[in-house]
Amino acid sequence: MTKIFLIFLLVSSSSFAYESEDELKVVLTGKIAKFITWQGDGEAKFVITVIKNPYKNLFEKKYKNKKIKNKPVLIKYIDDISDLSFTNILYIPKVTSKELSSILKKTTQKNILTVSTMRAFAQKGGAVQLFFVSQKGRLKINLDVIKKENFKVKSSFIRISEVVKGMVY
Amino acid sequence: MKIITTIKTHCNKSLNYVCKRLIITTILLLNTIHSSDDIYESSLEDLLNMEIELKANVGSRSGSIDLHDARSPTDVITSEQIEHSGLTSLTDFLRYSVAGFNAPETSIADGSDHVRAFTFRGMSPDQTLILINGKRVHTSALLHVNGTIGRGSSGVDLDTIALKSIDKIEILRDGAAAQYGSDAISGVINIILKGMGHKNSFSIHTGQRKNGDGEQLFTDAFISLPFKYDGFVNVTISSKGQNATDRSGLDKRVSPATSTTNVGIADANSFNAVFNIEAPQKNDMIFYSYGLLNHKDSKANAFFRPKNDNENSVLLYSDGFLPRINAKIDDYSFSVGIQGEFNDISYDLSNVYGKNSLNLNVENSMNYTLGASSPTSFDNGTLEVSQNTVNLDLKKKFNNIDTAVGTEYRYEDYEIEQGDVNSYIGSASQGFAGYSPENTVYSSRSSYALYFDTTYHMNERLFLEGAARYEDYSDFGTTSNFKVAFGYKILQELLFRATTSTGFRAPSLSQSCYSQTSSFVDTTTGELSTQGTFKPSHEASLSFGAKELMPEESRHFSVGTVYQPTKNLSFMVDYFLTKVDDRITLSEELGAKTQEQIDIFALNNISKIRFFTNAINTKTAGVDIKFNYKCKFNTNSNLDFSAWFNYSKNDILGFNRTKEYKTVLPEQLDRIENGQPKTSLKLLSRYKYDDFDFVLNLNRFGSYQQAINNLAYTFNAEWITDLDISYKFSNGFNLAIGGLNIFNSIPNKWNGLSGTFYGADGIKPYSRYSPFGYSGAYYYVRATVEF
Repeated sequence: MTKIFLIFLLVSSSSFAYESEDELKVVLTGKIAKFITWQGDGEAKFVITVIKNPYKNLFEKKYKNKKIKNKPVLIKYIDDISDLSFTNILYIPKVTSKELSSILKKTTQKNILTVSTMRAFAQKGGAVQLFFVSQKGRLKINLDVIKKENFKVKSSFIRISEVVKGMVY
Repeated sequence: MKIITTIKTHCNKSLNYVCKRLIITTILLLNTIHSSDDIYESSLEDLLNMEIELKANVGSRSGSIDLHDARSPTDVITSEQIEHSGLTSLTDFLRYSVAGFNAPETSIADGSDHVRAFTFRGMSPDQTLILINGKRVHTSALLHVNGTIGRGSSGVDLDTIALKSIDKIEILRDGAAAQYGSDAISGVINIILKGMGHKNSFSIHTGQRKNGDGEQLFTDAFISLPFKYDGFVNVTISSKGQNATDRSGLDKRVSPATSTTNVGIADANSFNAVFNIEAPQKNDMIFYSYGLLNHKDSKANAFFRPKNDNENSVLLYSDGFLPRINAKIDDYSFSVGIQGEFNDISYDLSNVYGKNSLNLNVENSMNYTLGASSPTSFDNGTLEVSQNTVNLDLKKKFNNIDTAVGTEYRYEDYEIEQGDVNSYIGSASQGFAGYSPENTVYSSRSSYALYFDTTYHMNERLFLEGAARYEDYSDFGTTSNFKVAFGYKILQELLFRATTSTGFRAPSLSQSCYSQTSSFVDTTTGELSTQGTFKPSHEASLSFGAKELMPEESRHFSVGTVYQPTKNLSFMVDYFLTKVDDRITLSEELGAKTQEQIDIFALNNISKIRFFTNAINTKTAGVDIKFNYKCKFNTNSNLDFSAWFNYSKNDILGFNRTKEYKTVLPEQLDRIENGQPKTSLKLLSRYKYDDFDFVLNLNRFGSYQQAINNLAYTFNAEWITDLDISYKFSNGFNLAIGGLNIFNSIPNKWNGLSGTFYGADGIKPYSRYSPFGYSGAYYYVRATVEF
């Protein structure tokens, strides 16, 4: 019986599983950074700012002792866009269209990569949109925003993303 | 020496014990570390290939919820499972995938041959609520009045929904009338249509039974067009040609005995179309709409009429004839709605209209009364049902309390249109008597509902839910129902949950208004005599104590646990108990006994009647046990396995009307208590290796009984094996071969029953209750292109 249990545990340790949607969103946010090059980034830390954080301490847990672009990761939380300071990524969980408009105005021309799971985020002027179809994550990238914000994006990222051009906001 | 040996043995045992525990602890620890870091270390491509937890919206108005955290037992079936099942109808898919879901294939049962009745947990078809995108679906116009599973009910015709339009199916295994209103007694099935981002695809499927009949050609296509702001227009169309199967025995009425009657799956051609549209606006408001269209031409038959059936038979048919009972079914529904958010309040306003029409016609038949001038084909009349539902839902979060309030207005009507005069006059058309002017009816009703739903997240471990719903029906009055549910996470991995609720089912308009009577020549008096189904309000029914139908009332309780030790492994065990009072049944055929009844029968030329009545109180109790396991062997191969066991026992607790019903209903009572398998086991597995996909499903259907002439006959439990093997080519082309019931399991014939119509040596050698039919193995090939 013990042998069966041990085998079972060994098998379990190499198993795949359902992931938490929130966890996947949080990890994908940082993972995207590996494919993006920021302009003249001389900061000591890689900063991810989360506005109106709904994930409790999930960002901190996931990025504790982790590095992005060989820099330690700093997570910042803000409730209002007027509190925004330097950041590489601004993660926008869910806000109204009106709020989104003012957030995107505030981040324009600041070399901030905006990431969100909001519907139509890329079309409305966001840089990278995460969404889920049949339980699997998908990406949309707005190349006009990327160009406007002076980011460089690896072609491998574009290959696995749906490309959006222009804005309909 | 002995002491040393004992000490040595003891030490070895202890060491062994310590070592084993250390290894287990290390593996568990490694497992934990591995899982916590696993996801972060994965590549972006791998992350995008990971599946997130299954979530369902049904059962709570607080938004979608992980199945493992659901306070009410809930399951989700994905579109991938549907695609790799090899099945081409939703009814069949649920029958093979959901333990406790039953949908026998009937034959020689008039309209029931064309519209499949289904049951959940052995209860009635109309005690399961069906939703599409969370909105109530109208039922079929057909009322099952023959001796089939589901007799006396009108359920939703699930085959009107194109399989390829479905994104997922949420199944709530709980009473939920306090949330959704009438019918949500044994459970709720919420069908979610595909939304944005799904690939276009086209499929063709063809196959046949091992016996060489039952050929099927099925094609379907899904097209998705993107719209502004991530909106979409999705269109699905499917068509299916199904040839009949025939498993009849010999007809001893003809000489030499030969097969005269088709017994098996009906011959049918159907077309389905579904659209689903979402048009988000700049201000976050979303206009949405979906619609379904189904047309089906189905051909079945009655029993063969030998030439000596009636002296007039030979006037048109020298060797007897087989009356064909055909159905033309048209079903459509259309919804429009708007949803959005205003001042942190989510709103959803919608209107859904649905209609089902079923025209019955008979071919290759005759009306004996008309003799040689009788036509051979008849229009026997049309049944129609329509329903319009308006809903307004409002939701708001207050810190850790989710609240929802809503209101609903529903209008429904039911109509029977008479057949052509030759179909009902005199002895009526053979096979199926047309609806006569006395049977025609138009009836309608409306209802208002007000409901409230709240979830209190007391802390990260304890959740409390409450729901209340008040309804006012224009025919029977008001009803109020309540539900309380709670979930407590004893450990992060272990959830304890329980629910209790009250519920109801409004009598359907068809049950209240249906009548179908036919005449025959009484051999003793030589006069035409009438028998059939009468309205409960008919004076003949009233003489037996019939009353206007009241709603069925239910009480529900469930308690269970969910254990998820690792992300890839979970167990669910849930006990359920549902008691239904005043359950509506169709009585057996009753003859006049009292003087009052004899007088009324004589006045109306009636010989026997049957009618709907709130006759019985029932109890349904059982357990669902589920086990899910996912395993990745390496980057190219993984296994997904689940086992689902259901035990459902239905008992009749009491009778509401005169005792004589009890004495004349043994077949009906046996059908309710023993006519369906009490146990059901599904072992579902899918193994993916590179571009190969292997699906192996094992189904065990428990034993069941059917009573004939007051004697119950038992049919054995059977295992059914389904296999689907597919290969995905790099250009989006997918080729599959497979089989359903590949080992050709056939139910045993009537054991100990010999007869002309029913019996091991009769025309119908198998029970119509068989949960997997009796047509045997089916083999197919399928090709799919995604683009």
